[in-house]
Amino acid sequence: MSKVRIQPRSDKPVTTADLPIDNKMKEMLDQRIQQQEPVRHDLDQPVMRNLPLLTVSGLKMHFPVRKGLFGRQVGSVKAVDGVSFQIKKGETLGIVGESGSGKSTVGNCIMRNCQPTAGKINYNGREITAMTKAELRQLRQELQMITQNPYASLNPRMTVHEIIMEGPQIHHTAGDEAQQLETSAQMLELVGLNPSFSNRYPHEFSGGQRQRISIARALAMNPAFIVCDEIVSALDVSIQAQIVGLMMKLQEELGLTYIFIGHDLSVVRHLSNNVAVMYLGKLMELTSSDELYEHPLHPYTQALISAAPIPNPTVDRARERILLRGDLPSPINPPKGCNFCTRCKYANQRCREEDPPFIDVGNNHFVACHQVKGGA
Amino acid sequence: MAETILEIQHLKTYFYNNGKELRASDDLSYEVHKGECVAIIGESGSGKTVEALSILRLIPYPPGLIMGGRILFHGQDLLAMSDEELKQIRGSKISMIFQEASTALNPVMTIGKQIAESLRIHKGMKKKEALDKAVELLARVDIPNPEQRVKQYPHEFSGGMQQRAMIAMAMSCSPELLIADEPTTALDVTVQAQVLEQLNLLRQESDTALIIITHNLGVVARYADTVKIMYGGKIVESGTPYDIFERPHHPYTIGLVRAVPRLDLPRSHGLHTIPGEPPDMSQIPENSCAFAGRCKYAGERCRTARPALEPVGEGHFCACFHMDQTKEEREALV
Repeated sequence: MSKVRIQPRSDKPVTTADLPIDNKMKEMLDQRIQQQEPVRHDLDQPVMRNLPLLTVSGLKMHFPVRKGLFGRQVGSVKAVDGVSFQIKKGETLGIVGESGSGKSTVGNCIMRNCQPTAGKINYNGREITAMTKAELRQLRQELQMITQNPYASLNPRMTVHEIIMEGPQIHHTAGDEAQQLETSAQMLELVGLNPSFSNRYPHEFSGGQRQRISIARALAMNPAFIVCDEIVSALDVSIQAQIVGLMMKLQEELGLTYIFIGHDLSVVRHLSNNVAVMYLGKLMELTSSDELYEHPLHPYTQALISAAPIPNPTVDRARERILLRGDLPSPINPPKGCNFCTRCKYANQRCREEDPPFIDVGNNHFVACHQVKGGA
Repeated sequence: MAETILEIQHLKTYFYNNGKELRASDDLSYEVHKGECVAIIGESGSGKTVEALSILRLIPYPPGLIMGGRILFHGQDLLAMSDEELKQIRGSKISMIFQEASTALNPVMTIGKQIAESLRIHKGMKKKEALDKAVELLARVDIPNPEQRVKQYPHEFSGGMQQRAMIAMAMSCSPELLIADEPTTALDVTVQAQVLEQLNLLRQESDTALIIITHNLGVVARYADTVKIMYGGKIVESGTPYDIFERPHHPYTIGLVRAVPRLDLPRSHGLHTIPGEPPDMSQIPENSCAFAGRCKYAGERCRTARPALEPVGEGHFCACFHMDQTKEEREALV
């Protein structure tokens, strides 16, 4: 992993020269500053340690905006603009962000539902962005996706059995009819549904049950990796907890690796080992779930945490609330410099001109902000 | 306690469909005081929206029908009023914010005209005067460049701004009671926080009572004075947010509080789940506890009789035959 040294983070280099202390002390302090100097990772390089199952580096997805009779391209929506992260086997990476932050597009790029504009996605040593259609078909046995709306993602004309077995049939892994019936019954049982439901149609089920069918369909392919895109957002609180519990149980039993995309920080954090915070196509902060709540460094993460309500009046009323002004800027025309500078209370001239690098501040904590001093 | 402005007594709103009776509001009673913020919490299908629509008699007939009860607004029964009398109250003394601002706003009318409409009808303002007032109202809900914005159409507003325009519209005639049905459900968290803060500020400034209907427990912990938990068309527990979140008595309330992941606790705190699904309301027998099918404490009595709301503390009520048994679970709450 190549590490590029950069200057200390403040505008002036940190020196001990003008401090009123003796030379020996200065030497010690200088050493300390040297050690604490933040390390910048080149965006084309993986940013977290240990052997990962999935490595995304410098991922960009720009959708063209066309106008006029001849469909001239007049601009592009920078849905994802330089995102890098890694996921280790058996772990969950949560991606949180508001609508329009590009979190779902990241999931779609990993599934190659869309062809990224730039960047690399390496899954278990294989490069997803360069795969042919035949290779992709193979890959999608291992990589599955579960989507937000269980009312739209299940074909209303197929029985539950047909929905679950469609994938294995296409990949010729389904076996004979008796085996198929056994598999679908097994899958239903795995997700906590009665196996006798297999001849019913989706409309006979409630939202929570449908989401379980979607999960069963994904599991039927025996995947190693599942992209969960807002899978609990449309569900009621009590059902949401059931699905979250189910996903955690399945991960433990089957050793699955997840990307869990959501807008509700408390749900995402509950499920994830690491959480990435996205804003306008860029990663703002990436760290372990507990660290994110205890030491959020990015002003956007801080605002997000303070805006997330806590269902306890004593705790919630005692908290200071950081209110952001305004809305998310358009990803067609993102602000110059830091993407968050239009809503950030700490923003200064530098933030409006220079895009902050995504740096490691130690302890597996990555943040992209000019105001965060290295080694914090 | 401040003056009571709204009193709902034994409200029964039933729906008739395919020969089935669905009791969406089943014998509901509660009071709202001046300047109070009442939060009604329930999952989808618990009847919380029906209950709110009943107050302004906005239930579509057929299939819905208000079968009984009284809704007293300053002592006058809204259910017994003529349509003309009710029109005087709707939008002026009691106004409503609907769930999805994008569908509730008229897409072919400018925002300014929509806000001015109720001012012209209820306050008899002239066109110019009403539009000026609309600019002022938009400025009050923190919409930048209100002079330009009043001339724009809803599609030119973002989701958060549409919701704030709805609030401006609802507050235009300084109502005494504001009913907000899932006011922040479609919004992002940071925008949700803005809108809630706005709503709370306006409530305090003008001493308006607020009924806020939501499925999000977190939203109410901060602002509500009273919280009512609805299940299967009935209020199962009612009290201050401290009662509901810190010493809930009803098994459903306890389950609900424990089912929400807490951002302030370590990840290991574990998520409790309520087994089963919310019931189909047309299937709940009349003389039974609606939660009996999912409740671990449920016994024979729960299936043959209906528990009534009983006081368990000052201003804290719970409808459950087995609330003594929930003590252990209650004390395990953080």
